[in-house]
Amino acid sequence: MASKSGRAVAELETEKSDNGRKNGNGRELMLGLYKMLVKCRMCDEKARILFRQGKYAGNFYSGVGQEAAEVGAAYSLREDDWIAPSHRDWTSNIIKGAPLNLCFAQLFGKATSPDRGKSTPAHMGYPPIHTITPASSIAGQLAVGTGVAFGLKKLGRDTVVVSFFGDGATSLGGFHEALNFAGVHKLPIIYVCQNNLWAESVPLRLQTALKDLADRAKAYGFPGISLDGNDVMAVYDASTKAIARARAGEGPTFLECKTYRWYGHSEIDPAKYRMKEEVEAWKKRDPLVLFEKVLRDKKLLTDESKDKIAKETTQEINEAVEFAEQSPYPDASELADHIWAQE
Amino acid sequence: MARNITMIEAITEAMAQEMERDDRVFVMGEDIGLSGGVFKATAGLYEKFGEERVLDTPLAEGNIIASAIGASMVGLRPIAEIQFADFITPAMESLVQQASKIRYRSAGGYGCSLTVRICCGGGTGGGLYHSQENASWFVHEPGLKVVMPSTAYDAKGLLLAAIRDPNPVLYFEHKKLYRTAKGDVPDGDYTVPIGKAEIRRQGRDMTIVTYGYMTGLCLEAAEQITKNGVDAEVIDLRTLSPLDKDTVLESVRKTSKCLVVHEDKRTLGIGGEISAIIAEEAFDDLDGPIIRITGPDIPAIPFAPPLEHAWMVNTEKIVAGMEKLAAY
Repeated sequence: MASKSGRAVAELETEKSDNGRKNGNGRELMLGLYKMLVKCRMCDEKARILFRQGKYAGNFYSGVGQEAAEVGAAYSLREDDWIAPSHRDWTSNIIKGAPLNLCFAQLFGKATSPDRGKSTPAHMGYPPIHTITPASSIAGQLAVGTGVAFGLKKLGRDTVVVSFFGDGATSLGGFHEALNFAGVHKLPIIYVCQNNLWAESVPLRLQTALKDLADRAKAYGFPGISLDGNDVMAVYDASTKAIARARAGEGPTFLECKTYRWYGHSEIDPAKYRMKEEVEAWKKRDPLVLFEKVLRDKKLLTDESKDKIAKETTQEINEAVEFAEQSPYPDASELADHIWAQE
Repeated sequence: MARNITMIEAITEAMAQEMERDDRVFVMGEDIGLSGGVFKATAGLYEKFGEERVLDTPLAEGNIIASAIGASMVGLRPIAEIQFADFITPAMESLVQQASKIRYRSAGGYGCSLTVRICCGGGTGGGLYHSQENASWFVHEPGLKVVMPSTAYDAKGLLLAAIRDPNPVLYFEHKKLYRTAKGDVPDGDYTVPIGKAEIRRQGRDMTIVTYGYMTGLCLEAAEQITKNGVDAEVIDLRTLSPLDKDTVLESVRKTSKCLVVHEDKRTLGIGGEISAIIAEEAFDDLDGPIIRITGPDIPAIPFAPPLEHAWMVNTEKIVAGMEKLAAY
């Protein structure tokens, strides 16, 4: 069996398969999801290390621990679909297909990054794959993403938007305004809330009286679903249904993915406000380990194929870091570029 | 063919013609559809173009602008209406963090071709929250263009230019001019360039820089002061951002004196900026101090008629400023 699943991985690469993105073969899909989880985890950890090594300034907002929500929600998106990421969703670019070179160039603020060093490290968007360059203001991104969905609907397209945000964003007025509008017009958008229980250092109990943030959707007249955000298949299944619903013109869905960020709000936050026991309990529910067990039970993953995936990903990351390090910074003469569009 | 029509008719006509010409253009805002707008700026558009293109929105200014920004990012050309400039504050996040910066922060990867029509201005008994101008807030934000017409002709031409501009344009409309500014407006297509001031009155002795509703008052004041033998030049900025510095500086170099007049509050207003530009670039040409006649540094325009009158800039105040300047 070991050789069989090993071959399956090899086949995926040689045949340039879409790794089951289009919900084809279940085996391909599960391996594809797994590889993407690994890629996101490894890229994110690398981004943290690079920051701590002083390779780039600014800050980084790690999503380690939340990969199942990120990958599960975005994996089946089409090329023409959009993502409105927030600060913790740098990896959503990777899932959507951005070259790793660009993702690491983004961290370094290099001229080869999609925004030529304008935006901060984690705030990445890449227009060719329709990920919106985020502003740091929480929920502002969600509102603009809702506007994109509004525009897409007006154009009569069956394209959808995935909006990523955390529990903190649900407290803002802009969140309410956007979801209300999306409900009124049945916009093609999936609101993916990664509820990691902490808005920076503020616990959920001081953010909301609700037990489930998905309950908020009731106020806007569309479905809200709370799910295990560390179970990638659960998120994938819920999001594909929500995406299909949005494509069919039936409107938005709110997915509350209950999950946990392993590290601080950012790399300069030691997160001492959290209880060790809480962190440890969540680490035991590592979305990668959970999914690895599923794959092993189904004989889809072996030690060999796991190592192979890790090795290949490491190589890809090393090449991307090399590219980023070698890339030039933008020239100071670019300071005033891109303020205005020309007629 | 030109007809004698009001500013509000010119605004409505510009939108209707552009919606006819370009099916990417649509209008959204509060009470703009079924009711045709509180000042009737969108009268008849709903009947003509339907709800798809003339959309009444929930009462949420932030989301009006955010959804218009998003729609522009996929290639549409929204015209969003903010019913009163006083209520633009909930949209600050959308305008200042999103609209003005999306192009910059994506290095041109994403754009925002957005027109925001904003009804503003005092002198109509609107009280604290239906009288504010607030245009200068946005002049402080590179990435946003800010315009304000003073004539019916400019109202149509500037609005057409704003809608076709690939950048976000904030188009301020002074409510007192809606039905008092009347003039010849061509029924065909034309634009008034954004970023270009207009000299409304030629003069030798001093330059008055103004815009919007104040333009008419400055022209009146300039006529009144001819009795003192003073010949004033009146510049209507029309665009507040980007400022047409060249027209202002050229005029000041000729007259050697400058008075800046605006309705909005004084501190950090347009007048301060224009004064600084002149002081930096035409200092040697000045024969007197730059004088500002502006709204006072008082939170907003109060309701009671004597209080509102005291707040507002009027012809007498402008003439007094001109007399003071003429003495140099």
